[in-house]
Amino acid sequence: MSNLRYLVANVLCTLLRFIPIPCRTGVIKIGNPGRDSPVLLTCNYWLTVERVKKAIRGIDCYLLVANSRGINVWCASAGGHLTNHSVISILKTSGIEELVGHRNIILPQLAASGIEAKVIKEKTGWNVIWGPVYAHDIPEFLRNNLKKTPNMREIKFPLRQRLEISVAWAFPISLIIGLILFFVFPKLMIPALVAIWSLSFLTFLAFPLFSRMADRRRKRTPNGQPRFLDTLIYSLFVWGIFILLVSIVEFLTGQLSWIEILRWAAISVILTFVLNMDLMGLTPIYRSEFLKDRLLTIEINQEKCIGCRTCENVCPRNCYRMDEEKNVAVMVEAERCIKCGACIVQCPSDALYFRRPDGEIVPPEVIRKFKLNFIGTRAVRVE
Amino acid sequence: MCAYVLMRIFESSPKKYDWGIRIITLGKAENVYDSLASHVKSGQRVLDIGCGTGNMTIRAARRGALVKGIDVNPEMLEIALAKIEKENLSDRVELHEMSVVELDKEESESYDVVTAVLVLSELTTHELDYTLKEVMRILKPGGLFLVADEVVPRNRLKRVINWIIRAPLLLITYLVAQRTSHPIKNLPERLEKAGFIIESIRVSRLENFVEVVARKPMRETE
Ligand code: SF4
Ligand code: SF4
Repeated sequence: MSNLRYLVANVLCTLLRFIPIPCRTGVIKIGNPGRDSPVLLTCNYWLTVERVKKAIRGIDCYLLVANSRGINVWCASAGGHLTNHSVISILKTSGIEELVGHRNIILPQLAASGIEAKVIKEKTGWNVIWGPVYAHDIPEFLRNNLKKTPNMREIKFPLRQRLEISVAWAFPISLIIGLILFFVFPKLMIPALVAIWSLSFLTFLAFPLFSRMADRRRKRTPNGQPRFLDTLIYSLFVWGIFILLVSIVEFLTGQLSWIEILRWAAISVILTFVLNMDLMGLTPIYRSEFLKDRLLTIEINQEKCIGCRTCENVCPRNCYRMDEEKNVAVMVEAERCIKCGACIVQCPSDALYFRRPDGEIVPPEVIRKFKLNFIGTRAVRVE
Repeated sequence: MCAYVLMRIFESSPKKYDWGIRIITLGKAENVYDSLASHVKSGQRVLDIGCGTGNMTIRAARRGALVKGIDVNPEMLEIALAKIEKENLSDRVELHEMSVVELDKEESESYDVVTAVLVLSELTTHELDYTLKEVMRILKPGGLFLVADEVVPRNRLKRVINWIIRAPLLLITYLVAQRTSHPIKNLPERLEKAGFIIESIRVSRLENFVEVVARKPMRETE
């Protein structure tokens, strides 16, 4: 039963990846928890809850499902849907305070851009412990006395996730384009669908090539963001491969002709562009090219830094190292930073902040309040 | 990240919130605010739960009440603040970024009126129960709880019609305002169960939207 539900959740949520799918909030007992059992928290995106439940099967603990409006942890915390209020609410209304004797709650690390550990402590008395990025590392994290390895802290874009994104991207687009073509140019529908799905898979299968190209270049740009040009070059490359594949198939089936190739080329060039328009925005390791705030840079005021290592602990890109002698944080991998804002939001002594391209500083209070981060300019300007 | 482009285009901005509310109430929002606000009297202490961009807060303040507006969204509060300053109501209004689960910090029997427009439907069931309990506590005896919200129609036929109308509407509100909602079942009963006396109910024709005026009972000794 639970396996079936897991399967349905995976299929459905992959196809409809861009639509929030909420599930019930509240406390879930995993195994046979007692008063000393660990308390974990996650969002109420259905797929996330199913995956976390599977990852921690066999461990006696409590899982709190907090209201994130059915959006996954990362998007919800950076976008202002999984907030302090969600956590405070679930701690106070779920009855967990009567179930356990301790006051330690393990939050997913990716929630650090939206939830402030300090506020949770002040308002509820609960200590926030930042767990690993991925649920499958939770068992090891618990065994290791709540210590994270650098690997557990890092966000990745593995093959499995790349395949999921291909499906998630190809499905709605083929639905829309397929429907339009069905009424306008029924003949083109099948070729267009074939092109959409293959281009989508090709793009994400070959994605490491894009990373390599972009990473080499972004060492040279000041804020480390790959440029639209990279996306364009890569799209052309993917397009080329696709045409090559089409030619091979046509050759093998004996249909190869210039007209045929040209026709495929025409269909696919537009689709390649549509699919890859925001290639970087589709990945968890780059920022979308469409956001105004992609040009922010992060700065440390080392005089204020107290060497608490919080930034190192919450950064999903492992940008920080500690200078053990001076007992301060140093940013060693600035070009890897994706501006999620987690380090700034959590720094207890306000030693971190963003600087805009025009030189203006964005102070930590503003970033915390308006969730100003890679998801965009959320600070309102009221005229 | 996570293809936020799509989401971004329709990002939840406070201006769109007002739009979302208009769509949900089928353009009757202004009406709803005005009719509920008419129960507020000058000099009363009012708490506006989920004040959003201040629509109810401002109406209550215009009638001379002292209003505290709370909301969890700092951007909406920023807009509300600007509107309030523009109307010169700042001395009668205070706004706080605060959620319903922090109502336990409010003093018992300290408000004449509590309002909640289109906010109870955004709460989880646990939060809703918690809120009703706390509102009961912080209202003065005889105080009013003014609620307007989406509800599930009782009549089965209307429930079906409502569902058919709502499906596209929900999609639009979601896309425009990123606002999803879960109509409440048995709202009047829930209020009664929490100890309120229902003074009046106005139900929309499709039974999908209600305005309720509920009262906290006077103390029995009085
Ligand atoms: S979180 Fe702030 S104070 Fe702590 S090590 Fe990092 S920069 Fe320094
Ligand atoms: S250094 Fe960049 S990537 Fe790391 S937590 Fe800070 S903002 Fe996020």
